[in-house]
Amino acid sequence: MSQSDQYSIEIFSLQKKFGDFEAVKDISFKIKKGEIFGILGPNGAGKTTTLNMILGLLHPTSGKIIIEGYDNSKENSKIKQLIGFMTQETVVDSYLTARDNLRIFARLYHIPENRIEEKVNHALDEANLISFADVAAGTFSGGMQRRLNLVKSMIQEPKILILDEPTTGLDIQSRVGMWEEIKRLRSKGITIILTTQYLEEADQLCDRIAIIDHGKVMAIGTASELKKTVAKGNLLSIKVNQDEREKTAKILKSKLKMEYEEKDDLFVLTNNIDMDMMIKVAEELRRNKIDVQTIGMHLPTMDDVFMKLTGSSIRDSTGDQKAGKNMAKMGLIGRR
Amino acid sequence: MGLLYDSITIFKREMLIFKSNLRTNIIRSMMFPLIIIIFLGNLGSSVNNIPVAVANYANSQVSNQFMNSLESGSTLNIKAVTNEQEGLAMLRAGSISSLIVILPSFPKSTDGQPSVYVYYATSQFSESGVAIPFIENTAAKYSTGQVSSVSIQSDVNAVSTQGTNSSYRDFLIAGVILFSVAFGAVFGGGMSIIVDRQLGNIKSFLITPINKNAIVLGKLFSGTLQSMIYGILALGLGLVLGGSVAMGVAGLIWIIPLILFVGAAFSGIAIMLGSRIKTIEVYTIVAQSITMPAWFLSGAFFPSSSFPPILQPFNIGDPLTYATNGIRSVMLNGYFPVGQIILDFSVVIIFAILGIIISFALFKSTID
Repeated sequence: MSQSDQYSIEIFSLQKKFGDFEAVKDISFKIKKGEIFGILGPNGAGKTTTLNMILGLLHPTSGKIIIEGYDNSKENSKIKQLIGFMTQETVVDSYLTARDNLRIFARLYHIPENRIEEKVNHALDEANLISFADVAAGTFSGGMQRRLNLVKSMIQEPKILILDEPTTGLDIQSRVGMWEEIKRLRSKGITIILTTQYLEEADQLCDRIAIIDHGKVMAIGTASELKKTVAKGNLLSIKVNQDEREKTAKILKSKLKMEYEEKDDLFVLTNNIDMDMMIKVAEELRRNKIDVQTIGMHLPTMDDVFMKLTGSSIRDSTGDQKAGKNMAKMGLIGRR
Repeated sequence: MGLLYDSITIFKREMLIFKSNLRTNIIRSMMFPLIIIIFLGNLGSSVNNIPVAVANYANSQVSNQFMNSLESGSTLNIKAVTNEQEGLAMLRAGSISSLIVILPSFPKSTDGQPSVYVYYATSQFSESGVAIPFIENTAAKYSTGQVSSVSIQSDVNAVSTQGTNSSYRDFLIAGVILFSVAFGAVFGGGMSIIVDRQLGNIKSFLITPINKNAIVLGKLFSGTLQSMIYGILALGLGLVLGGSVAMGVAGLIWIIPLILFVGAAFSGIAIMLGSRIKTIEVYTIVAQSITMPAWFLSGAFFPSSSFPPILQPFNIGDPLTYATNGIRSVMLNGYFPVGQIILDFSVVIIFAILGIIISFALFKSTID
């Protein structure tokens, strides 16, 4: 297998500037054929800008994107046939029937007129919407709309599917349904790129994950590879009364000689944590009459990875104020 | 698969959305014409004692009988004047709304020339609208049964309209048709671009292999067609409410292209604004502050001759003026002089071309 056969998307030193603001500074990664690739990052990290460049909606300031062997600056319309895209907003025409929604996109993807009905019926079947085919999409439930949107995004049978926060706002049942659907698509050989704000979702679903912040790739690898970068073994998290944080910090540092990181309101210890160490720390805190609210040992989670690399929680959207303001400059393509 | 195919796909989508809201769209578009035509279209229909001067050059028994008939009833308030000049001076001064000149040949017409002339000031349209049909009908009883013996000439100085249909309702319907077209384009099809962008539809179109100009072209087609439908509905409504087209069915040959070009121009403006403005609230303010003045200044409610001098240049520079004048020629006068056809259509076509060019140019720049 030659290299270009192995990869579905190859990105080389991608850069995008909006005025003086560098939304994407230097991003390179390769996505293998048939994998589920997660892109994580706080708001304003450059995820959406990167996706928009892959989709051909934005032109990179510099760098190169190769999709299924085609250079996307040269063979844009060919690439557009290869990529399906589903936004975080459910984009269906709510006044139109499910069938009309699909017909319009079949035409926009230049499917020959004599094959449109067959494709549309197949898509309705896939989405389990046959009996609702001629009902206005606006009357559908959230899950039905999402299913319609998914088959609409795939009406041209793309090789790559990009999902921008596909499960945001869905109830647990619909979310699990969407996961099953994504796994089913992978089993059909479709390469899937997804962004999500649910880290446990990325952990369970993605074969590999790239964490992006400040327009750069901070880390890339499988979930377990990424977790190992946080700690080889367990982590110890301690939460104390707000007034006693300084005192706790002093005890950890001078008495116990432990290294720690402060994340939000937690102290996180990463070195050689085992049961004995946890008891030792707990004893010391008790002796000093520290009001411990939480103390616990656990394996690193994607949350810990994310915290370590970006210094903020994924739901902490104010993580980068400047980036947030600059997002407005990106205009209509930027995330609203 | 070319631009046209993609544009037609977008056009079909827009029209399907239009169709799915058909009832609401039609009711909304009819409300304003309905209210305006019912409330304002009947202005002058109960006017009495209209001051009219008569210069009776015939001074025969039959012409005196004709004058007596004019005076009977309470419609007209007749003042006799000695000659045409005196009457015209009164007309210009505004002390009368029409001047009737009875020629010596009355009641016979010589060489097809009418034996009665009526001068009227179009600024007094509400009174003229009542007086002239009354004069016509009265004259018809005396002048050997021929209505054509009455010819109506405008006031040479201030008034340019020559009319056979001169009710204010017909005058107003032309303006109302253009209101429906312009507002239909700006607040109907054109505004959809903002909603589409907010919902992410524009983005989902752009990731397909279509040419992005197809989105503009498709929306231009649909915006223009929808505004034409609104314009034709307004005309139909006007006719149902008692209006008439002096030229008859043939008048549609002129009215439909005029509203087509106005609809295309305003659809272009709407797409241009829609691709620049992000919220419907701001769009509404900007679109209204363009469309409303353009509509008022075109003389939709009042003849432009009654505008104060400071507004005259705006009236002349307003493309809608020419569309209004064109439709009025067809509806009021019943004929459309070649010179005016060339002027009105040139202005309206240039307006449409500018609107279309500007929509493409500015839509493009917001995507790159």
